[in-house]
Amino acid sequence: MTYPLPADAAEYRASGTDLSERRRSGVSTGPLVDIAPTAEMLTIGWSEAGAASIGASVTIAQVAADARITSAYPGIAAAAFGLATPQIRHVATLGGNLAQRSRCWYFRNPHIACLKKGGSDCPAREGNHLYSVAFDLGPCVAPHPSTMAAALLAYEAAVATSLRQNLDMIQVLGDGSSASDHQLANGELITAIQLPAPLRGERASYKRAISRTHAEWPLVELVVRIVVVDQQVQFVRIVAGGIAPVPIRLPAVEAALAGQALSPASISAAAKAAVSGAKPLRLTGYKLHLLAGLVEDMLSAHAA
Amino acid sequence: MSSATINGRSELLPSDPEVLLVDVLRNTLRLTGTKLVCGAGVCGACTVLLDGVPVVSCLMPAAAAAGKSITTVEGIGAAALHPVQKAFMALDALQCGFCTPGFIVEATAFHDRWRAEHGAVAPPRDVIGEAMSGHLCRCSAYDNIFRAVGEACAGRYDGTATASPRVEAREKVTGAALYTVDIKHPHQLEGMIVRSRLAHARITSLDLAPALAMPGVGAAISLLADDDNHVRFVGQPIAAIAAIDHKTAAAAAAAVLIKYEPLPAVIGADAARSDAAPLVYSGKAKPANSAEGPLLPSRWKHNVRGPNVAFSTKRKKARKWIEQARAARNPWLFEGTFRTAAQQHTSLEPHAAVASFDGDQLTVHVSTQAVFELRKKIATRFEIDAKNVRVIADHVGGGFGSKGVLGPETAVAIQLAKAAKVPVRVAFSRHEELSVAGYRPAAEVRIGILPGPDGSLKALSLRAHADAGVAVNSTIAGLARLIYPADAKELIDYDVVSHLPPGAPFRGPGGPPMAFALEQAIDEAALRMAIDPLQLRKRWDTNANRRRLYDWAASLESWRAKVEPSTQTGRYRRGVGVAAGYWLYLWQIGSKVELSVQGGKLVASTAVQDIGTGIRSVIADTVAREFDLESHEIDVRIGDSRLPEGPGSGGSRTTASVVPPLLLAIGKLKASLAKSSGGRITPGSNAPWRELLAASPDVTVSAERPEDDASRAGGQRPLLRDGGIVGTVFAWMMRRFSHMAAGAGAPSSVQVVEVEVDTLLGHVRVLRVHTGIAVGKIASPVLARGQAAGSVIQGLGYALYEAREVDARTGDILTAGLEDYRIPGIADTPPIDIHFDEGGFDHVLGGSVGIGEVATVPTAAALANAVRNAIGIRPTEIPLRPDRMLALLRGEVHS
Repeated sequence: MTYPLPADAAEYRASGTDLSERRRSGVSTGPLVDIAPTAEMLTIGWSEAGAASIGASVTIAQVAADARITSAYPGIAAAAFGLATPQIRHVATLGGNLAQRSRCWYFRNPHIACLKKGGSDCPAREGNHLYSVAFDLGPCVAPHPSTMAAALLAYEAAVATSLRQNLDMIQVLGDGSSASDHQLANGELITAIQLPAPLRGERASYKRAISRTHAEWPLVELVVRIVVVDQQVQFVRIVAGGIAPVPIRLPAVEAALAGQALSPASISAAAKAAVSGAKPLRLTGYKLHLLAGLVEDMLSAHAA
Repeated sequence: MSSATINGRSELLPSDPEVLLVDVLRNTLRLTGTKLVCGAGVCGACTVLLDGVPVVSCLMPAAAAAGKSITTVEGIGAAALHPVQKAFMALDALQCGFCTPGFIVEATAFHDRWRAEHGAVAPPRDVIGEAMSGHLCRCSAYDNIFRAVGEACAGRYDGTATASPRVEAREKVTGAALYTVDIKHPHQLEGMIVRSRLAHARITSLDLAPALAMPGVGAAISLLADDDNHVRFVGQPIAAIAAIDHKTAAAAAAAVLIKYEPLPAVIGADAARSDAAPLVYSGKAKPANSAEGPLLPSRWKHNVRGPNVAFSTKRKKARKWIEQARAARNPWLFEGTFRTAAQQHTSLEPHAAVASFDGDQLTVHVSTQAVFELRKKIATRFEIDAKNVRVIADHVGGGFGSKGVLGPETAVAIQLAKAAKVPVRVAFSRHEELSVAGYRPAAEVRIGILPGPDGSLKALSLRAHADAGVAVNSTIAGLARLIYPADAKELIDYDVVSHLPPGAPFRGPGGPPMAFALEQAIDEAALRMAIDPLQLRKRWDTNANRRRLYDWAASLESWRAKVEPSTQTGRYRRGVGVAAGYWLYLWQIGSKVELSVQGGKLVASTAVQDIGTGIRSVIADTVAREFDLESHEIDVRIGDSRLPEGPGSGGSRTTASVVPPLLLAIGKLKASLAKSSGGRITPGSNAPWRELLAASPDVTVSAERPEDDASRAGGQRPLLRDGGIVGTVFAWMMRRFSHMAAGAGAPSSVQVVEVEVDTLLGHVRVLRVHTGIAVGKIASPVLARGQAAGSVIQGLGYALYEAREVDARTGDILTAGLEDYRIPGIADTPPIDIHFDEGGFDHVLGGSVGIGEVATVPTAAALANAVRNAIGIRPTEIPLRPDRMLALLRGEVHS
């Protein structure tokens, strides 16, 4: 009596940091396809305009440590540095991080059926969903596990796959209304992530709220990009992870800040706006306080 | 076929893409220093270097190593020990040692990189914390790991010295130490337990034939009891398989046909307390005993066992006085309800056993806390002559109370080995370890505390409901009898059974949840009486050991500098809290030590086992001290039931059981040496022992644990004598049935915790812990400090992070992996100041009693009092995760 993924679903294996655990537990039983990365998939390239293209097989540690990425896309580098553990970051790839499967404790239990494994309902919804979503956007209540997806959404990255070019993050991950962790076709492989050139004067940050100090899946995580000119917020992009079935932009926060000075009052208004549109579950209301808290914390840091 | 260079040798890699690197290392190449613990890349025990970079081998496909260079822990110290290894040894940055190879591999890579970039300077603490964040140590040797990594980076261990206060440290830092999971006999099969998928059901049929028919399966057996075919929790054993490897065993387990007749289940104590809940036990079925102590008879009402009131004194008076005070709105009365979560032991070495028959002889390697007692239990259970049973545990990767019994891993390994006629290993998966291998029961404690008009303690009431799944026999409220004498005490314990796996003894069973309620109630009483909490404890607590510790705590700068919560309004608020705790002083009757001279070398033997607590070193240190030798010169033989009877590693009893007979044996051996010296020296003199030993013929002496010298107890009585008739009965039963004596005096701890609360993100940061401990003389100071610090960190985990989560409908344990069951990491470890007050146990030969349990009893309570001091709000439920902290703060935050 086990509930693995549908056995016909072949899975790509990048470094195996997600898949190996699911093979061992029996959640993944279908065919395995090891990725044979091309040279491009292993490199970070730069356009003349200063835009990066990161191969899907570049490791998270490389992204975190790359001096040019850190300088041009500090939110991406910080997100990479903030996820998992040093040993995982050394081998886990950017593509694998985007395509990893949910960390929901029901999904990961081979004995429990769930929507992501072809079951008929989500056991977390009425069950123990302490770490689930507070923006209940779809049938499955597990938050998306990819920290890099949140960072890439904030940077409006375009994803190239073996079949398609120029996909935005919503095309890759969906809008949260389905139970899938991603929208890639069977056999479709992420090959590269293309970033627009950074904005002039842009600053960015990443932070996750967790109970311990390191090495824990985020209760809520936030990516902030901001351009302040003459004391006024000229551009701001806020993306939250760990709180919805997919990483979500927080347009109400952005609207509350647009054209404003970063002051205690505007920051407070932005923090209040963060929970706009939220639909917490019975046990996840606390995540909205964490979300508002992170907005306040990180914007205050940018104001300082 | 591809290959990799592993520790400098070219090795072929398997072509099967499913094989992971950890399996090649451990199973094919027998490089067992690399440990498999979580299988999810969380704990880092399997860390190896891939072209010089640390990676987790538990998730890495073996094929991914093709053409690369792999270095395991065995490869790191092969030529000469790395400075990091020497630092870990010298500074005792390890206890059970199971996580140590992973830490060593990571730390050597960090060290080399750091020194290349920065030279020989110590890195900041937070840099080390981040670098080591992919590793977990359940013994919580983190305090010393910080020190070891820092000092190695600073170049202080570049020399050739390889000394260590822990005698087996070298084996542990090089990966040479063999644990039960590492044992592999020829033809050995892998055992696996087939477990119930339902929380409550009757098994109507069990068909093992499909499993037995599979190639590679050596045995398949039923584990159902003859007279009870019910299963009462998800994961209850039903059958077992032995097969050539893990994969085949898993396939065979899946092929076993089980027909269930599902029955209504009730999950968790809250639901089970309802009279409408399905009944867990009826008829002849008997609940498991979750305690170390004997199971006393008790009443039952539906799923609730109790009230067990025997530790009360003037129970009705206590209740009446509290009711009257409530009616009269007595401002000094405090009443509250406190809740603590189930805490998993999380030993990094899982429960494991390897059973092997040679004719009539049964040898079992077991990851156990009691080799000697286990031999007797196995002999009884399997009707084998005890002299034909041998239990071995050279190294044990943690236990914390969960490995004190004849568990299913051992019983099943023996049954399978018998059926398959070859050796069989059973090693729990991490899922099993975190779901069915025991836990500290969750508890709800309702407390009432009533000071008298004169400021004395008039009445105390504790009513505890323990949530130990299908098991019973928690004593939580009852423990409040033996601290803070009052005019009247109402102490009532209930067990509530439900369809969840059984709880088990865990470091000071019942102590931390009792202290969490009682020590916060004392704090509340102090607030109501407007008196310093330490002063109030000194007024109410008559125990001399703790009174000395209160004076020490009161002298701490951080205690004197604490401020009232009302003065703090910012985002970050700081607080200081204090709590006290005690444990029983226990020793095992019949413990023996043999001491011999063999070829001029001293050999000390006893059937105790070292689960990381350091008894091997305590023995070596004690002998070495008496003979003016170095500890490493003593050959200490433990971990084998063929040795003279030794104590179990539970109840903090090993030091107090082993050192007294060891000292007697030392006296005898000295007398013997003196005699053979022809009367030139006397046993008490500073004799040239080294020369005498070298010249001595082989000789063996032995001694048994003597009774304590009551005349030297300074008026202290066995603690249980203060527990009235039930205490006396309890003490008698422990002596009679468990061979445990409860001696005079109370091992004690008083702790002061400093916290900083982030009111915005609900995060509690522990700034510093001061732990004062009175357990008599310290037998091995460095190891004692490590154990005391580890106990504190486990207590912080209990207070802040750790909670077992279940599915309330199915009874599945959801926190069955180390991502979801959150134990403290190195960066969560604050600086810990340790103060040993070495008095109080002069009546014990050697003057020492155990540390492990008492040192964790007050931690969560002290932290909660610190949080109350920081934010002005009383936390009543742990762990204090961000969701709980935000709930506590909510009104304040948004007002």
